Amino acid sequence: MLSRIVLSAAATAAPSLKNAAFLGPGVLQTTRTFHTGQPHLAPVPPLPEYGGKVRHGLIPEEFFQYLYPKTGVTGPYVLGAGLILYALSKEIYVITGETVTGLVTIGIYIFGIKKFGPSVAAFADKLNENNIALTMEVSYRQRLHMVYKEVKNRLDYHISVQNMMRRKEQEHMINWVEKHVVQSISAQQEKETIAKCIADLKLLAKKAQAQPVM
Amino acid sequence: MNQNLFASFNMPMILGIPLVALFILFPTMLIMPSNNLNNNRSSSIQQWLIQLMLKQMMTNHTIKGRTWSLMLLTLITFITLNNLLGVMPYAFTPTTQLSLNLGMAIPLWMATVLMGLRFKTKATLAHLLPQGTPIPLIPMLIIIETISLFIQPVALAVRLTANITAGHLLMHLLGDTTLILLSTYLSSSVITVIVIILLITLELGVALIQAYVFTLLVSLYLHNNS
Repeated sequence: MLSRIVLSAAATAAPSLKNAAFLGPGVLQTTRTFHTGQPHLAPVPPLPEYGGKVRHGLIPEEFFQYLYPKTGVTGPYVLGAGLILYALSKEIYVITGETVTGLVTIGIYIFGIKKFGPSVAAFADKLNENNIALTMEVSYRQRLHMVYKEVKNRLDYHISVQNMMRRKEQEHMINWVEKHVVQSISAQQEKETIAKCIADLKLLAKKAQAQPVM
Repeated sequence: MNQNLFASFNMPMILGIPLVALFILFPTMLIMPSNNLNNNRSSSIQQWLIQLMLKQMMTNHTIKGRTWSLMLLTLITFITLNNLLGVMPYAFTPTTQLSLNLGMAIPLWMATVLMGLRFKTKATLAHLLPQGTPIPLIPMLIIIETISLFIQPVALAVRLTANITAGHLLMHLLGDTTLILLSTYLSSSVITVIVIILLITLELGVALIQAYVFTLLVSLYLHNNS
C-alpha cells in the first residue's frame, strides 16, 4: 500500500515509465501504475477474509453445486470414480511402483496436514497480529495525505487563475497607458523636447569639464 | 515398471525439447515477496523462515562476508525447494543431476578461494599447513592439504547428488518391490509399505539437511577466506 504513493509520484514525474513493460518483472513491479483512473465510489467492498470453499481439499464447492440439479449428491463422486476406472482399465494410467510410492507420499502429506495444519496456521496468524494496528494507522495516514493533496490541488488552481487574471489586467493597462502617451506626444512637442535635451546636455558637459577627475 | 530404474532421472522432454529451464525456474514461483505488513499465511511463514535462515547463517561473518547474504540465502532456498518438490510422485528433481550441482559448487568455492588469495594471501596460504606439525612431515602435509582444498567443490556437488539420488532410487525400488509382493506375499508388502513410509520421512529430512549442509559449507569456506 505504501507503494501506491510512490507509484503515483513516479507516474507524475515520468509518464514515459508507464510504457516500460519490457524491462523485466522486477522493474515492472515498481513502474506499473495502478489506480490512475478516478477511484470507485466509496465505500469499496472489503476483501474476502477466506478463500472459496473446497471439498476434499481439491475440488471447489461450486462444482458440486453445478452438478446437483441433474445428478444429485452422488453425481460428482460417480463421475470421479468413473473417470478413474476408465483411466485404469484403458491403461491411460499404468499402475507401476511409482503408484505405490506416490500413494504413500500423498498419504503422509495428508496425515501431516491434518495433524500439524491448525497449529502452523495459528503460528502464521500470530506472526501477523502485531502489525494490524500499524497497517491501519498507515492506511489512515495515506488517505489523509490523498485528501490533503486533492484539496490543495483545487485551491492551487483557483489561486493560479486569479494570478493570471491580475497579470493580464496589469499588462493590458500598461500597454494602454503607453499607447496613449505615445499618441499624445505630437511631432512639434517632440522637436522642442529634443532641442531642450541637447541644450541641457551641453550645459552639463561644460560643468563636468570644470571639475577634476577623481 | 518403467523402462528401467533410472528412467525417472532422465530429463523430461516435450517433442524433443528439454524442459530443464521450466523445472529449475518453477520453485521461484512459489516464493512471493510482498511489501505489506500483513500478508497471507504462506507469505508470512516464508518471510519468517527466510529471516530465520538469514540470522542463523550470517551472524558469524564479517562485514565483507555478509555481502554474500543474498547468494547464500538463494542457494539454500533453491536447494531446499528443489529437493522437497522432488519427493512428490512423478516429479523430476534437478538436484539429482551432477551438472547442476557442479555448476553451483565450483563457482562458489572458487570465489571463496580467490577472495582469500586476493585479500588475505598470507593467511590463506598459511591454512595449508596445520599448526604444530613435526618438521619432516611438512612437504607431505602441504600436498595433502592442497589436494583436500581442490576436492572441496567436487565433494560438495557429489555429496548433494549422491544423497538425493540414493533416496529417490530407494523409493523406486521399494515401490516396485511392494507392487510385486502384493500378488505373492501380502504381508511382506505391508512391511515394505511401512519401510516406504519411514524412508519418505527420512527423505524429507534429507532434502532439508542437504541444502543446509551445502550452504553451511560454502559459508564456512567464505568465513575462512573473508
